[in-house]
Amino acid sequence: MDRIVRDIFSFGDRPFSERIGFVIFIVIVLAFPWIVESGYARAVMIKFLLFALFGLGWNLIGGYGGQVDLGQAKNVGFGAYATALMMSHWNTPFWLTIIPGMIVATAESFAVAYPMFRLRGHYFAIATLCVALAWKELFTFWDWTGGARGIELPIKPTPNFTYMEFGAIGYHYFIFGLFMMEFLFMNWFRKAKMGYELQAVRDNEDAAASLGINVTLTKVKAYCIAAALGALGGSFITVYYLYVDPDLVMPLDLSILIAMTVMVGGAGSIWGPIIGAAILIPLDMYLGAWLGGIGRYGIDFMIYALIIMIIAAREPRGIWGIIERARRRR
Amino acid sequence: MLLEVKNLVKEFGGVLANADISLEMEQGEIVGLIGPNGAGKTTLFNCIAGYHEPTGGKVFFEGEDITSWPAHRVAKIGIARTFQSMKIMPNLTVEENAMIGAFSRTGDRWVARSEARETLELVGLAKEASAYPTELPIATQKRIELARALATKPKLLMLDEVAAGLNPLETKEIIQILQLIKKEKDLTLFLTEHVMEFIMTISERVIVMAAGRKIAEGISEEVAREDKVIEAYLGERYAKGK
Repeated sequence: MDRIVRDIFSFGDRPFSERIGFVIFIVIVLAFPWIVESGYARAVMIKFLLFALFGLGWNLIGGYGGQVDLGQAKNVGFGAYATALMMSHWNTPFWLTIIPGMIVATAESFAVAYPMFRLRGHYFAIATLCVALAWKELFTFWDWTGGARGIELPIKPTPNFTYMEFGAIGYHYFIFGLFMMEFLFMNWFRKAKMGYELQAVRDNEDAAASLGINVTLTKVKAYCIAAALGALGGSFITVYYLYVDPDLVMPLDLSILIAMTVMVGGAGSIWGPIIGAAILIPLDMYLGAWLGGIGRYGIDFMIYALIIMIIAAREPRGIWGIIERARRRR
Repeated sequence: MLLEVKNLVKEFGGVLANADISLEMEQGEIVGLIGPNGAGKTTLFNCIAGYHEPTGGKVFFEGEDITSWPAHRVAKIGIARTFQSMKIMPNLTVEENAMIGAFSRTGDRWVARSEARETLELVGLAKEASAYPTELPIATQKRIELARALATKPKLLMLDEVAAGLNPLETKEIIQILQLIKKEKDLTLFLTEHVMEFIMTISERVIVMAAGRKIAEGISEEVAREDKVIEAYLGERYAKGK
C-alpha cells in the first residue's frame, strides 16, 4: 500500500532538472491569478490547464498505448452531459455527477472497444472518429439532452461550492486540482504493471503476447481508463460555462486538438501533454485574436499547421522527443 | 512428458507448411530442430506457441491440451520463446524489456525489477541495463530477447534461430550462456537453426525437417550422416556421391 502511495507522489526516477522544472511550473500556476489581472489571460490559463488534463487522458491510450484515438470528444461529452443532466433535472450536487459521467464513458468505451480493436493503425483512428461523430449527431437530435440548443444551468445567487459556481479564480484552482489528480494518477500508472504492459503492447504486440500479455484486453482497459479521464474534464466544462451543447463538448475539432496537443508535446511521456498544451493553447488564443484583430484571418491556422508539420516530420515523438534526444547525445 | 506434438498439420492457402509432424520432449532435454530455409521450422514453433492456429493435430504441454490456445495463455503456462526476426521493445530500456517478462508472474514493480536484473546478469547484460535496445549491436539485442524470455521463468524455452546473424565468437558466447542457463534453471530447450554447427554442438537430440515434413530424428552425429538429411541440405547428387 505505501508503495502505491510512493509511486503516486515520487518522481525519483526522473532527472533532477525535470523535478525542478515541475516545481517551478506548479509555483507559476498557483501564483498566476494573483499576478495576472487580465481576464483574458486567466481564461487562457484555465483553457491550458483543461487541455493539459485532456492530454493526460489521451496520452494513456494514444501515447503509452500507441493507439491513435480521434474520438476523445465523445467522452468529454459524456462527462459534460452527465453533469448537466443530473444538475438540471434533479438538482444533484456537482460532486455526485463526476463519477456517473466517468462510468457512462467507461461503459460505452467498453462496449465499442472489442470490435474497434480488431482494427489497427489508421483504421482504428477512423473508427474512433466515426463513433464520436455518431454520438454527436445523436445528442444533437435527442430531446432529452436538449438537442442542438443544449442545456443551460441556472446561475446561483452566491458563490457555491456544492454546485461549483464562483469567479474565475475559483475555477483556476478547481481545474488545477483536477489536473493534479490526473497527473498523479498518470505518474502512478506509468510505473505500474499495467503501464509497462501497455507500452510493451505498443512497441511490439507479438513480443508482448509471448510474455503472457493479453494484447486485446490490455488495449481495451487502456481505452476505457482514458475515456473516464476524458469525462472528468467534460464535467468541469459544464460548470465552467454553465452550459453544454454538442458543438461545445463533442465536436471533431475537440478530438483533434486533444490528440494534437499530446503529439506536439510528446506522446508517451509524462510531460508531453503539459508542453503541448502550453504551446498550442496560447498560440491558438493569442495568435488567433491578434491576427483576427488586424484583419488577417486564417493566418493563425497556417502557422498552427506549419508547427505541426515541422514537428511531425522532424521528430514524431514531439517536443519532448527532441529534448530527450539532445540530452542523450550529450 | 513435457511437450507432445501429435500429427500437427498447418496449411497456408493450400500450401502445406507442416505436414503430419509428431514429436515428444522430456523435461530437461535440449532438442534441436534443423532443416533448410523454408522447411517449416518457424511455422511449427508458431503453432506450438499460439501464433498460428494448426489446421490439424494436437499439442500437449505437461499432459494438458494447449492446441489453438492464444499466445499469451501459452506463455503463462510456461512456454517462452524468442523470435527469428527480432521483436524488441525499442522505447523501453534493456532492463524494462526484461521486466515485462517478469511481470507475467508478479504485479510488483520492485520484484519485477530485481528479477529482471538477475536474468540480465545471467546473459551478461548487467552493464547495459539502462541503455535502449536500438543503441546496441544485434548480438546484444538477441540476448535481450533471451533475458526477457527467461524472466518469465519458463519450463520450456523455444529459441528460433538465436544464432542467426552472429559471428563465430558471438555464437560461441551464446552457446556458453545457453549451457549455463540450462544448468542453473533446469530448463528444457527447443532450438531451431539452419546452421548445423551450432545445433550439433548444443543439442542432445535433433529433429530434421524438410519441405514441411519430419524426415529424421535421433542423436546429433548419427542424424548428420543420414542420406535423407544430406539430400535435404545439399541436394540428391551429394547424398549419392557420399
